[in-house]
Amino acid sequence: MAHAPQHSSERPEILDRVQPADLPRAELILNDRNFHWVTDKVCGIVEQPTPLWWKVTFAMALFVASFTGVGLFYLVSTGTGTWGLRAPVGWGWAIVNFVFWVGIGHAGTLISAILCLLRQKWRTSINRAAEAMTIFAVMCAGIFPLFHVGRVWFAWWLFPLPNQNAIWPQFRSPLEWDVFAVSTYFTVSTLFWYMGMVPDLGAIRDRAKTWWRKAFYSVLALGWRGGNRQWSNFEMAYLLLAGLSTPLVLSVHTIVSFDFAVSNVPGWHTTIFPPYFVAGAIFSGFAMVLTLMLPLRAIYRLHDVINQYHIDNMCKIILATGSMVGYAYATEFFIAAYSGNPYEKFAFINRAFGQYAWAYWIMVSCNVITPQLFWFKKVRENHSLVWIICLFVNVGMWFERFVITVTSLANDYLPSSWGYYSPTIVDIFTFFGTFGFFSVLFLLFVRFLPLLPMAEVKMVSPHANPHAH
Amino acid sequence: MSKKIFNHPTLQEGEPTGPSYWRSLDERNKSPEFRTRAEREFLDGASTINTVERREFLMLMGASFGLAGLGLAGCREPRNHTLPYSKQPENTIPGVATYYASSFPGEWANQPLIVETHQHRPTKVEGNTSHAPNGSASSKFAQASVLDLYDPERAQFSVGANGATLSIAAAREALVQLASEAKSNSGEGLVFVARPSTSPTRARLVQLIQSALPQSRFVEYTPVSQNGAELALGARPLPDYAKARRILSLDADFLGSGDASVEATRAYASGRRADNADEAEQMTRLYVVESTFTLTGAAADHRLRASTSHISALAALFAAEVLAQTGNNDEATLLLSKVSGVNVDQNWIKECVTDLVKAKDKSLIVAGAHLSADAHRAVFLANAALGAAVRYATVPAASKHQLSDLVSNVPSTLVILGGNPAYDAPANVPFAKLVKAAKKVVRLGYHGTAFDETSALVKSVGGIVLAASHYLESWSDGRTVDGTYVPVQPMIEPLFPSLSDLDVLAPFAGSTKDAHGLVRETFQEISQDKSDSAFAAWLAEGVLHKSGYGIINPLVNLDGLKPFPAPQLSFDALEVRILPSVHTGDGMYANNGWLAEAPDPMSKTAWENVILISPKLAAKLDIEPRQGVITRLGALNGKINEMVDGRLIARIAKLTLDGVTIQGPLFIMPGLADFTLGLQLGFGRSVAGRVATRVAERLQGKVVGNGFNVYPFVSVDSPAFRSGVRLELTGETAPVCNMQDHWSVEGRDVVREGNAEDMRHNQNFAKLGIDGHAPAVYGKDEKLSPAEKAINTPRGNSAYEHPDHTVAPNMTVWRGHESEFPQLQQWGMSIDLNTCTGCNACVTACQAENNIPVVGRDQVLKGRNMHWLRLDRYFFDGRDQVSSAIPEDPQVTFMGVACQHCETAPCETVCPANATVHDDQGLNTMAYNRCIGTRYCANNCPYKVRRFNFLDYNKREAGHYYEGPLGPAKLPKDPTDLPQMQKNPDVSIRMRGVMEKCTYCVQRIQEAKIQAKVNAKDSAGIRVVDGTIKVACQQVCPAEAIEFGDITDPRSRVAKAKASSRTYGALTYLNTRPRTTYQAKLRNLNIRMPGANRVPLSRKEMAGRESHGKPHETSGHPQVEKNSH
Repeated sequence: MAHAPQHSSERPEILDRVQPADLPRAELILNDRNFHWVTDKVCGIVEQPTPLWWKVTFAMALFVASFTGVGLFYLVSTGTGTWGLRAPVGWGWAIVNFVFWVGIGHAGTLISAILCLLRQKWRTSINRAAEAMTIFAVMCAGIFPLFHVGRVWFAWWLFPLPNQNAIWPQFRSPLEWDVFAVSTYFTVSTLFWYMGMVPDLGAIRDRAKTWWRKAFYSVLALGWRGGNRQWSNFEMAYLLLAGLSTPLVLSVHTIVSFDFAVSNVPGWHTTIFPPYFVAGAIFSGFAMVLTLMLPLRAIYRLHDVINQYHIDNMCKIILATGSMVGYAYATEFFIAAYSGNPYEKFAFINRAFGQYAWAYWIMVSCNVITPQLFWFKKVRENHSLVWIICLFVNVGMWFERFVITVTSLANDYLPSSWGYYSPTIVDIFTFFGTFGFFSVLFLLFVRFLPLLPMAEVKMVSPHANPHAH
Repeated sequence: MSKKIFNHPTLQEGEPTGPSYWRSLDERNKSPEFRTRAEREFLDGASTINTVERREFLMLMGASFGLAGLGLAGCREPRNHTLPYSKQPENTIPGVATYYASSFPGEWANQPLIVETHQHRPTKVEGNTSHAPNGSASSKFAQASVLDLYDPERAQFSVGANGATLSIAAAREALVQLASEAKSNSGEGLVFVARPSTSPTRARLVQLIQSALPQSRFVEYTPVSQNGAELALGARPLPDYAKARRILSLDADFLGSGDASVEATRAYASGRRADNADEAEQMTRLYVVESTFTLTGAAADHRLRASTSHISALAALFAAEVLAQTGNNDEATLLLSKVSGVNVDQNWIKECVTDLVKAKDKSLIVAGAHLSADAHRAVFLANAALGAAVRYATVPAASKHQLSDLVSNVPSTLVILGGNPAYDAPANVPFAKLVKAAKKVVRLGYHGTAFDETSALVKSVGGIVLAASHYLESWSDGRTVDGTYVPVQPMIEPLFPSLSDLDVLAPFAGSTKDAHGLVRETFQEISQDKSDSAFAAWLAEGVLHKSGYGIINPLVNLDGLKPFPAPQLSFDALEVRILPSVHTGDGMYANNGWLAEAPDPMSKTAWENVILISPKLAAKLDIEPRQGVITRLGALNGKINEMVDGRLIARIAKLTLDGVTIQGPLFIMPGLADFTLGLQLGFGRSVAGRVATRVAERLQGKVVGNGFNVYPFVSVDSPAFRSGVRLELTGETAPVCNMQDHWSVEGRDVVREGNAEDMRHNQNFAKLGIDGHAPAVYGKDEKLSPAEKAINTPRGNSAYEHPDHTVAPNMTVWRGHESEFPQLQQWGMSIDLNTCTGCNACVTACQAENNIPVVGRDQVLKGRNMHWLRLDRYFFDGRDQVSSAIPEDPQVTFMGVACQHCETAPCETVCPANATVHDDQGLNTMAYNRCIGTRYCANNCPYKVRRFNFLDYNKREAGHYYEGPLGPAKLPKDPTDLPQMQKNPDVSIRMRGVMEKCTYCVQRIQEAKIQAKVNAKDSAGIRVVDGTIKVACQQVCPAEAIEFGDITDPRSRVAKAKASSRTYGALTYLNTRPRTTYQAKLRNLNIRMPGANRVPLSRKEMAGRESHGKPHETSGHPQVEKNSH
């Protein structure tokens, strides 16, 4: 890893003379935990007998996930009309949910890739779970654009497959860009996640007591032995993937925002969307990471590894991105007014005060007002409050997508063709079920894979510093 | 069978021949060996030509069969082969439609039609251009009548007195027996009840019956009579709407309802075309006095709201003013003396009449059929004094007997022909009692006994119920409004054993002829020509020219003039105006899905009727919709009706009149007279088919008609309006099916209007609004002709790629000859908002032509109607600021919106599957097969014209959409399934999950192109001649508001329309460059009228709201001027 101890011989002499006082760096691992403790802690989660809470939660999650299954089965067998869509609102909850889940899927790769490149060591405590969250969120997201089409059995036409009629997909369509952006993002994130896990899987394999565990983790560990050459290759590959993922973090949500920005619907057709969407995605992603990590930390007593410093950092990122999002909302209004275009002006006034004003104000209060509480240290230290605020952010970001998608379509150019969209029970259940689907995957991850990157945590722990003792 | 030998014709003496060639000397010598060889089918040794001997062959075959048997390859299902026509019927070319002339029977006038048949199935009707007054236009009822032919709930067999099925032969026998019984007592107690008909053959039979059975009575009854003027004057007024330049309509909805509305609209529209200031000044000016908001009122330049019960009195006032101004003071004084209690702006009358008088013989007053006889007389005298553009025709006398007479003189034998009197008889005629009292009842009904009140009643009392034929499958005849004699010709053998009214009457008239024979007899009588060719010519052309009614000058005076009633109306004594519904007429079309789903042009409601109430009354009842913050902020005009979650939620009210109560949803209607409630007939059926009844209840086995029944309020004396009604709110609410949520255009420049003054000031008055500010999308080619723009306009920095119009499709073949071949034609459309009256015929015609499914009330409530073409209706009251007030006296503009076929179509670039693409003739085409249904195109269409098949509307019945594959399929295995037979075979049926939209009737374009190529043969003249292609909406439009054709040909009608200074494109600032453009509406205001605005109200509103389109009085047209240099 990039962390290399500094030798005193390389220090400039002046430093010895003036003897500056070291600013205390925040400890990333508290209570002087050693390597063995970390290994025991992380592997223990996987090795301990399945706890009752896990079984109960898993059963519940499976049940909830079945809602999506049933909902999609009904949808495909009967038609898109089982959803609340209508003229003029051709996109409803499905696209809202898609953008929502893709947004959540941003934090993982941001944490693992961008923070890695920026040498933010604190990321190691949370990156594994965040990456898992990313992948599962993208899986949830993928369901919606796939199934929202009228004829899902022809969805493969979106792939550029050579065919005898020489018909290609329409490469100018943002939806086509989506197909490439999301699938690339998913592939790279999965590779990144899995590759980072290989040393830890090796550790679990080595500790395995039963033959089947050994077999299972042997396959997953890809023959990891922890040799120097393997470590060297691993580090290089990790860095390369981090470099590769970084633009993807920005591109995916940029392209998702193009679905809207490239169209000509007032309220969609704005150039601010790419940065605004990316900020919103990071915002919601971090909120989701906190939503998941705080309970896990409590359950598995990971307070030493995921400590107040980590939580503080994440809260601050949420505060920063939340403010950016708030700024974007304000900018939209300014530009609409400044443009002098009556259609644009109306679209934004209508958002705030029209038939969907309730959704708009839920969005504003959850996304702009609530995160401002993170200015206060007391709030950041109150983890129940942090968790609740993060839930608000998640709700707010869902509403942001709802506001953008639905209000713009419901009242666009011709007043004769205005309408009002509301979801049906099928919409609601299908979305609800994706939380179950997500939980099923996440619980499986928690139960069978290393929740924390042991190797990386050890690298940033005080014990890894030869000068620590 | 021996072979037929065809010999070459032998050469005649002296016939010129060319050089003769020969293949061998034998041929030249004509040797016998050669001749036998030439005539033999196979050469010698042909059987052994492969050198396989018979034994060898059998051996090989045996082995093959053995092997084949081993593999059990022979065990497969027997194949069923389809067979082509073994004997092709004459005049039938598969895939090519055949057209026949016929006419759509009305009660007052027939509409001449051309019927399109595919493989002998009638699929579509069009107006018969041989009859000039209606051109190619027809009404929406005529359009929808085709669907009735294939109504699965029509009577499919007759039912005898014992309830058993009756064959046609047995039915005829029963009629003959009934006739002979009647003969024995000269028809004592025998009563026929029928709907009025224009058929001379029927009239002849009725006369024969009268002479054969003098005691019998023939009663004609209709809930909505159109002959009020005829009864009063003894002659039918035939107004000349084309000649008249100043028209005053007194509650006469001549543009919107009645059998002559098509011809009237066509004539009226011809006087409303104007492309410069002079023409605009010469344009027809329409004054309307009415209570409810009709299409005529919507077209009016000046509209006076008045209660229906006062309009007879108002007619007297107008007539008196005309007479006074033309020097007939005695009559004027007499009329004035009979009017009291009417509150009206005298100035309105005075200025209006002054204008009429000034126009002299180019003026016209028309009176609604429901006005009193005295009012008709007064109007007649006023017209006479004006020398108005109206003639009077002698028409056959109406039936002597009234339905109400039967109450006192009860029939013993009742023959009910058509109609549905058990449902639609006036409340004070207990028709069910009459039926029960009669000893014998015969009923000829179109719908099955389970789907029609009268048939069900007759069946229950043990009467005979005969299945009636549709007009497209039976012989008859009729007359148009001016009396022109037209045939009703069958297009198809009756689908079911059924009879027509002529078949039923013939035995009583003592005739043994069939309907065809009877019509032929009548034709000979009328045409005075017995030849087969004359009859054939009449059937072929569909019109007998110069057969109109005689023109007379009726003698009318004011003798015995009674005082004009003008009841005092108040909140406690309201008035109801009873009108036929635009969906079901008087209930006749209740089971027609196209009509049920075609929205009411004014209220935009569908599938049900509502109680229309005025904004003032709504304010009094405190039922105005709640207004949101956005209204108070000044961003959006208030609603006129309560919308909750996109659904119109109406209050339920109870109306009471003389102890009778009806209950229905209230709909606040701008422009309604203050104390008038508008009611529509034809709903609330108690026994009816699947379209006329609610789906949810039907699935539970109950029959609940759509809407509510208004007939309890219809009385014999006053079928069209009643006063003294009390209204009470019940506290309940109900969702009402509505297709347009918002009434105001919100100051947007989508609709543009002007007047003569505007045109004089600035020809380009229509080019205003945001488009005036937007950069010129054509860049430096702004000045190019439309043709040049269409073909080679630069893309103007557009993000959208544009199809290359310059290269012909098979250029490689033409290389080097490009100049010999014409450039591809570029299709475009122009819609004239000035002549469009909003009649909805185009909506129904489009549905018929393009196999557009009916989705049902439930789906319309969810906002999923599939119409490719819709008529947007906007109200304007000149407000320059946003307000929540409901417009009380608005102007109306209709705007037909279908796919605009944008040259840089926003829908095309966003479709990820490439399913919607541009073709090289400028069509924005939709490849249904390629569509996967992302709906992105619909989102990105600024005109919102794309329609998505959310559910399997074509495959499943309403009520079963949500059952998925478990639901019953609409398309049964049986290919003779009725509704399927209506489908246009040239248009594909769309499945669920697929987007669809207007195609510019691409099937008609293709047909014309193929025909042009066939005609061109080897020449380069493959261009389709202008006018050959008529798209469905254009063809049906009575106002001829729609032009379609090649926009690159400056001589084409569409190019000329587009060259008009009134032309503008909607939302063109988006650089969509639509191929469909609009011609701005012109208002023709009489500035002296009270309340007249110099500026059309929509423009006034636009100027106030968005500072666009400021009227020139205040600021001129800076943006337009900027645009022009």
